[in-house]
Formats: sequence, C-alpha cells, structure tokens
Amino acid sequence: MDDLAFYIFAAVSLLSAIGIVASSNIVRSAVCLLGTLGGVACLYFVLDANLLAVIQLIVYAGGTLVLMVFGIMLTSKSPWVGFRATRGQVAGAVLVAILMAVGISTLVLTAEWSQSANAPLKTSPSVAEVGEMLLTDYLVPFEVASVLLLVVMIGAAYLARTEK
Amino acid sequence: MKTDAVDIVLESQPDINVELNGSQIQHDLPTEEMLVNMGPQHPATHGVLRIVLRTDGEMVLEAVPHIGYLHRCAEKIGETVAPYQYIPYTDRMDYLAGMNNNLGFALAVEKLTGLEQEISKRATYIRIIFAELNRIASHLVAFGTYGLDIGAITPFLYAFREREYILDLFESACGARLTYSYITIGGVTDDLPDKFVEICSEFLDYFEPKVKEYNNLLSHNHIFVKRTADIGVITGEEALDYGLTGPVLRGSGVRWDLRKVRPHCSYDEFEFDVPVGQGLKGTVGDCWDRYIVRIQEMEQSVKIIRQALEKLRGTEGQDVLHKKGKTIKLPDDDIYFEIENPRGQLGFYVQGNGAAIPARVKARGPSFCNLCVTDKVCRDVLLADVAAIIGSLDVVMGEVDR
Amino acid sequence: MSQITLPWIEKSPETLSGYRRKAILLLFVLAVGHLGIALVSLFAFKPGQLADWKIPFVLALVLGASLAGMAFTAGAFGVVFYRIIGKFLRWSYVAFALFLGGVVGACLIVWLHAEIFTFIKGLSAAEGEHRVWLLAVPYDHTVRNIYAGLEAIGVEVPVLAYALWPLQFEFIRDLVALGGIIGFISIIPAFGIWWERKVSARIQSRMGPMRVGGWHGWLQSPADGLKLIFKEDIIPPEGDPLLFRLAVYITFVPPICAFLALPFAAAWVFRDLDVALIFILAMLGIEVVGVILAGWASNNKWAVYGSMREACQMVSYEIPMGMSLLIPIMMAGSLKLTDIAGAQAGGFWNWFVFANPWCFIAFFTYYCAALASCKRAPFDLPESESELVAGFLTEYSGFRWSLFFFGEYAAMFIVAGLAVILFLGGWSSPIPEAWINSFLTAVGASPDGFFGTLARGLLAGGPIIFVLKATFLFYVQLWVRWTLPRVRIDQVLYACVQVMLPLVMVLLLANTLWILGTDHLQWGWLNVIDGILHWILVGIGVIVALAILCIALYGFKNNKRLVGQLAVVDQLPGS
Repeated sequence: MDDLAFYIFAAVSLLSAIGIVASSNIVRSAVCLLGTLGGVACLYFVLDANLLAVIQLIVYAGGTLVLMVFGIMLTSKSPWVGFRATRGQVAGAVLVAILMAVGISTLVLTAEWSQSANAPLKTSPSVAEVGEMLLTDYLVPFEVASVLLLVVMIGAAYLARTEK
Repeated sequence: MKTDAVDIVLESQPDINVELNGSQIQHDLPTEEMLVNMGPQHPATHGVLRIVLRTDGEMVLEAVPHIGYLHRCAEKIGETVAPYQYIPYTDRMDYLAGMNNNLGFALAVEKLTGLEQEISKRATYIRIIFAELNRIASHLVAFGTYGLDIGAITPFLYAFREREYILDLFESACGARLTYSYITIGGVTDDLPDKFVEICSEFLDYFEPKVKEYNNLLSHNHIFVKRTADIGVITGEEALDYGLTGPVLRGSGVRWDLRKVRPHCSYDEFEFDVPVGQGLKGTVGDCWDRYIVRIQEMEQSVKIIRQALEKLRGTEGQDVLHKKGKTIKLPDDDIYFEIENPRGQLGFYVQGNGAAIPARVKARGPSFCNLCVTDKVCRDVLLADVAAIIGSLDVVMGEVDR
Repeated sequence: MSQITLPWIEKSPETLSGYRRKAILLLFVLAVGHLGIALVSLFAFKPGQLADWKIPFVLALVLGASLAGMAFTAGAFGVVFYRIIGKFLRWSYVAFALFLGGVVGACLIVWLHAEIFTFIKGLSAAEGEHRVWLLAVPYDHTVRNIYAGLEAIGVEVPVLAYALWPLQFEFIRDLVALGGIIGFISIIPAFGIWWERKVSARIQSRMGPMRVGGWHGWLQSPADGLKLIFKEDIIPPEGDPLLFRLAVYITFVPPICAFLALPFAAAWVFRDLDVALIFILAMLGIEVVGVILAGWASNNKWAVYGSMREACQMVSYEIPMGMSLLIPIMMAGSLKLTDIAGAQAGGFWNWFVFANPWCFIAFFTYYCAALASCKRAPFDLPESESELVAGFLTEYSGFRWSLFFFGEYAAMFIVAGLAVILFLGGWSSPIPEAWINSFLTAVGASPDGFFGTLARGLLAGGPIIFVLKATFLFYVQLWVRWTLPRVRIDQVLYACVQVMLPLVMVLLLANTLWILGTDHLQWGWLNVIDGILHWILVGIGVIVALAILCIALYGFKNNKRLVGQLAVVDQLPGS
C-alpha cells in the first residue's frame, strides 16, 4: 500500500514539475508548483514525517506560493501573459540540463543507498522531540534563520515603501 | 496596477483620507492606472448611474459620473399636456418622494395662476401631512440603502418595515404606493379616509422610538462611524459654491431650509427645528453628518405631522379640491418656484402663454445638482468610500435624468 | 399565476394519469427484476465456492441489485401514494423526525461498525499466505474463516461473511470512515445555508424560507442545490477556463481535508494526527490560493480586486489566529487535538478559556481572526455585494458558485470546532463525568452497560455535545454577520497588524511567563492569584451564559410584542 501511495504522489509531483517548465502561462506554472509542493508534502506523509509535511504545506503552499501568485497578478495585464525564450536562452538551458542530468544520474547510480552508516530513523521524532532539538542542539541555526527572515522582512518593507 | 499590502499597511492611519487628500504620491515601481466602470448596473449606485473611476490600485484619482440612462423626456412632455395631466409625470421624477414632487409642481402652477389664495386650509394641511410622511419614507430608504452600501444589511429591512406602514397610509388615501398623483392643482384629489387621523397618530407613536433604535444599531456603531466619519468632507463654502441643497447642504453646517427661509404652503404656522451637521464624529460636512441630518429630519417631520393632525380638526367640511383646478388657463407669464424636497430644493419653471398647456416646463432636480460634487469629493479616496459618498448624497436617478 | 404557461400543466388529466400508470408499471417491473437478480446471486454463491478475490464483485452485484430493486419499489410506491406522501412531508414534525432519526441512525451506524471492526480483529487468522489483486496485498481472513467466526457467535448468514470480508482491510475501513465524513460535511452547508437564511430573516423581522418542504422551508437548501445544478455552465470567454474550474476545487477541497484531523470525540477521529492543529491551519491556508485564482481566471477587474483584498486579509489574519491557538497548546502541552480536549475534561471550570486571563482574551482574538480568515462579516470584503457586485465570485454561477459556499460553510464549522476543542472543552459536557457516573449508579443503571454508555455519551461527553457547541459558535458567526457593517480593507489590515498582532504577542509572552511561574517555578503567590482569577473568569462565563439564555427566553416569549405587527399581513396561498 505504501508503494502504491509513493508511486502516485511521485507521479503527481513529477507531472506538476514538468507542467511548471512546459507551460508558457506564468499563472499556470504557479498552479503546477502548487501541485508539486502538494505532492512532496504527501510524500512526507507517506514517510511518516507529519510535522515536515504540514510545515511544507503551511510555509510553501500557503505562504510562498500565495506570494508568488500575488506578485504575478500585480505585474501582469491579462490572464494570458506568457513568455517566449530566445534561441540563445534555449541552447543555454539545454546545455545546463544535460550537464545536470549527467551529474544527477551519476550520483544516483553510484551512491550507496543501502546500509549506510547513518541509517534512517525507525520512527520519526515526535513534535516535542523536534522542538527540544531545535531549542537545544540546533539553537544557533534556528536563531540565525529567524534573524535572516527578519532581515528579509525589513528589507522588503524598505524596498516597497512609498516616498513622498 | 499596484497595491501592495505592505504599502497600505505602512501608510494607512485611521484617517487615511485626511492625510492623502490632495497630496501627490510617487511610487518606485511604475504604476498603471485603471479605468474602472462602476455601473450602470451596480448595487451601490442608487439607480442607473454610471461612474467611470480612474484608480491607482484601490485609490480613486478621478470619478466622472455619466447620467442619462433614465431620461424620459419629462420636460418635453410638459409642453404637450395640461398641468393637471402633468402631475403623474412629476411623480416619476423623484419616485421616492412622489408627494413632494406633486406639491412642488402644484404650488408653482397655483402661484402662476393666482389660485394659491383660494386653496382651502384643509387641503393645505393634508398636503403638509403627506409631504412630511413622504419625507420620512424617503429618508427611511436613504438610511436603509446607506446601511446596505456600508454592509449592514439589517437596518435596511427595519427601515422598509416602517416604510410599509407609511405606504399603507398612502394607499388608503389615494390607492397607490409609489406614484401617487394625490396632490394636484387646486388641492388634493380626495379627502382623507375615515380613520386616517387615528391610524396616522398610531403610526407616529410607533415610529418615534424607532429612531432611537436606528441610532443604537447603526448611527453610533463603531464600524459604521469609521466608514463614514471624515470621509467625503464638503465644507460649507464648497457646498454653496456647487449649489448643493437639502441634507447635503445642511450636513455641511449651513442652516438653510426652504421651509423656514421661504415658507410655502403654510409651513410658517408650524414649529420645527432644522438639524445641521456639527461634526460630532469627525469633521463638519462628512458623510456621517449628512446621514445624521436625515435621521434628525425624520424626527422633525414627526413633529410637523402631529401639529398638522391637530390643526386638521378645525377644518372639517372644507372642500379639498378647487373646482377650477382642472380647467385653469395659464397666463402669459412664467414662474420659477422651489420647494424643499427630501433631497434638496426641487424647483419648477413653468411658462405659460395664455393656453391651457404650458409653453415650457423645466424641473430643477436637487439630485442632479448634488451629483456634480462627486468628482471633487471622490479624489484620493478608497474604492469602498465611493459607495459611501454616493450613498450619503442620496441621489435618485429619476430626478437626475428626468 | 395560472396564466403562466408551464409545459406540463397544459396536458390533460387523462394523459397525466396515463403517464402515471406507465410509470408504475415500469418501476414495478424493474424492481421485481433487480430483486430477483439479488436473490438468485445470494443463494447461488456459497462460501468456499468462490475465490476470495472475486467476492467484492459478487457483493457489488448483490448490493447493487438489491439497492436498485429497493429504490425502484420505493419509487413505484411513491408514485402510487404521492398524495399521502405529500401531505406527510408537509406535516410540521417531519423535519424534526427526519433530523432526530438521522442523528440516531448515524450514531447507531457508527456504533455498529465499531463493533464489527472489533469482531473482525478478534478473529484468529486463517492459515497460509493469502494475497489478492495486482500488488499482492496480503490478508489474513478468508471468507470461510469469517463464516466460521460468525457460526461461533450464532449468526449463520453466508452473505454476511461476504460483506465482512472487505472490511478487514484498513484501506476499506478508511474509505467507509471517509464516506461518513463526507456525508457529514455535505449536511453542514445544506443545513448552514438554511439556518443562515432563517437567522438573518428573524434578525431582519421577517420569516425566511417558509414554503419549500412545509415546516419553515427545511427543504430549501436541497431545492436550491438541485436548481443550481441545472443552470447553464457559463465560463467567461476571455478568462482562463482551466484555472476557472480548478479554483473551485482548490477552495472547496482543503476544508474537507481538514475534517480528517478534526476529532468529534475521543475515538471519533479519522486520523489522530500528532500535528492535527497545524494540519488544519495548513488546509485553511491553501484555500487562499483558490480564491486568488478564482478572481484571476475571471478576467474581470472587480473579481481581481476582490481576490487581492481577500488574499491580503486571509494571509494577514492567519498570524494572529495561529498565535492565539498557541496559548491553549501551551496549557495542554501537545498539538494532538484529542489530548488538548482530554485535558479539559471534568466540568466546565476546567475549560481552557477560563484557565487564565490570557487564554480568555486569546479565545476572542482567535474568534475574530477566524472570522476574518473565513471571510465572514464584518470582514466579508471579498464577497461584498454592494461594492464589487460579488467580489471574486462575480463570474461564477450555478453549481460552481454553490461549491464556494460549501467550502466556506465547512471552513466556518472547522473554525468553530477548533475553538470548541481548544478553548471550550471539546466534547466534554459542562457536567463532569464523575457526577454522571454517580447519578447513574444512584438510579441503578451500570455506567458501562448499554444505557450507561448512551447516557454518558449524551450527557458527559461525546460527539453530540461537540456538534452542539460547534453549532453554537457557528450560530454566533451568523449572528455577527447580520448585525455589523463591513470594515474597509485598510481598516481591516490596520486592525490586524497594528492592534491584533501586538496584543497576541503580549498574550503569548504573558502566558509563557505565567506557566513558568505557576507550574515550573511553583511560586505560591502566583498560584494564589491564578486560582482567584480562574474562579473570577468562571463566574464571568456563567453570568454571560445565563444572560444569553435569559435574553433568548425573553425574546422568545415576547416575540410578538417586540417585532410588532409584521408589515406584510396576508399570507401567500399555500403557506
């Protein structure tokens, strides 16, 4: 049953990702991004990482995606805005894509997937454990991330202010 | 099209319009102005009014009203029918205050032909009763629909519940609920029905405490005050410059009511106050002032009607319709006569040339003149405020377009 | 009215009764045929004759044939006795009877299938490996096995063994539970819309729906739904048809998903997630995307305005909402909704809303933020009718339009349910369970017997109490909508960012320090103050509840005097 669920959600994520790239309408790309994020969240659920899945949904699907769609809406004139890539851009993109495909396949094929030293957890940590780890073992990265977000917010507010 | 949430959040204070009114705003990003069409089919424009708004995001830069959707050639028709036949056409101009329209035209023609001395006292008092009842009904509609524009849907139904009683009274007197043609040249078409005075007093006793209820429900509601106070401020001088009349003028602090200044139809025999906007919740002349002036006028109308019902007692048996009313000939003269409509000063210009049919009839609709101030007042306000401002001007398109 | 031409009225009574006769004949023939198929297949297949994997198909055949047969018989009888049925439906108490019957039936069904699940789990597994279908899903109980178990308890019906065989799979059980949830969710908007119309009407001194279905128009919602299904499907030509359709689903599905994590009672939850609360918040956040897309795909400036305002508002108010919810979580120490509600058991003085002043205020900030998040008045700018025609819904008509409202009413119920679980004690009734138990033993019934469990479920804690409390908060949302005017967008955002956010942060900080002082550092004086404040708040709560009750009773007894004569005096014919 888990296998079936994995195949379904992986297919959804992949197809949505292809949709993002293949669609020439920006808003449709954003909606496909929603599909991808949702598919990945469901994969996290299949892996029993509930906290990560809901955080993915809240932060990405409910926050970042909304921001992106908002930005697109505010700067476009009609529902059918699209963009065309020039031939040079397409050539460059194909080159980069080939390089990345070769690199990732090599990585995937030569990595030691089974019996690694750090075996995956048998049970996923509960929310309380994650909270404790964030505030004791990983406190510094946590605080640094918060400060980073604060800086981003202030910067965005500064950039978007009106001048009289 | 630019409206950043951050933008609004950083810049907005509760009195956003006071700060931004009249100031230029420059943005870093290139903005695009939108031309938005509000109406002619729109729930917030009272009737078929089309307002073309040039907006920058939510901020309105310019508002141009386009009218004429309800034009029915009323003035041209005045040149083809006799005055007593023209009375039904006046009903349809400001259809929410039919009695007052009838009264205006009837008084103009009577003054022109010299009939006004011969109208009986009973007819005069009946005219006043119905004119004031219609003022209450009209202000109830204004109050109800204003609440609807702001988003409070319940007061609308309370206002219409009260209005049903008034319309029942009208129906008992003349058979119609909206287009009465009751007040006509020479008096009123028919005497009052039997129990009218008792039922009318009963209604007034029922209605007077309701005004307090409306004040509790809507007038002092914090959200309503925030939506209407300090919005759409028209100063007294501006109001006089633009020729505004009625509650719009009185809301801006100018104590001018034709019933006191140039009393017609024996209004000088009655005691009543003229409520004036005092800027209780914001500035003098904001939407809230215009709104509260209407509420207070309803209370004053109740006073007038009670006095008129009293005065009716001494006039039993008088003839309510002058015999010459239907067959008068208009002299070779013209007259322009104004009365105080619930919406402002309604004026009729009648030019006779010796025949029974006038040579020219013109109606000065108060809503037409009140609407002119839209562009001035709707600068640099938010979109939601345009609905609030138009509602506070209380325009009726039948009167604007005729 | 009789002058309006309606196609069927023009037919003569003879043709109509001819149609009727043909209909009765056809329905009876179909009924007999289907019931025959069902009976034959019932006795044709005995346990052990069929390979196990063929069972669901046989079951489907039997079930389908019998259901169809019963439906056709019912239809035939309906056509024969339509007059009596019409009179029955118009009887005042039919609505009550159906409602109560539905509630009792639902509870019985849930209880029944819980018993069946325990029974199946209790059976010993059959020997050997059994696998079924493409992915070779392993299973433990064959039909023979189940039939043996049934024989052991004395029920020797083969078809029951067939019926119980699929229920051993977790997946099927989830499907059944899901069916129940979707059933409940479908009822909420239907009931909610009818109730909103009645409540709004009564507030506005009129009656509301009165005609459809007889007693106070209780069938109005299904009738409206049926009408909307038949409407033409209009899609704005210049807009984006795919996104136009998709937006509805993105708005409508997340509230349904949120019901998966919402517990109705201690054992009545689809998945007792350990992150249930954040899951529900995440689902409510995804709705925003649907609303934005709806406005965008309509290619209508007014719709875009509405969706932009809505996105601003919903996203901004998620912050005070989430932060207000943190306060009872701190009191309970867990994100699991069942734990949080369990921590408030034992009488209404244990509810978190009375626990300390910060929780008390947090309840109100949560409720206001939730009102804004559900786009309910006074924050209903996105749907503001008088300014933007209908905001982001302008171009939607027919059933798509009603699906938006399905999602909205489901979200309203979820938000109310969350408030109940986190602040108002969840499914525990105001009376502690201990008192009910002692009352039961005093009366002579055992607390664990059938009537004992029933009484405890109804009085001490159970799904019905949860639904009642959530319905009350739902009602408050309806009440507020028709009382207050609408707030302007800049005022909405001002209230969120400059009033509510600092307030909620202060509450959070104060609550943290409070818990630190009372629980961890055990300061005596703080505990004393805590106790005093707790009982003051309980007193306030009791006074408010009593006040509401008294005012409602006063209004009910004096309703004729307060409303005055209804303006419209004559009744419409047939009402």
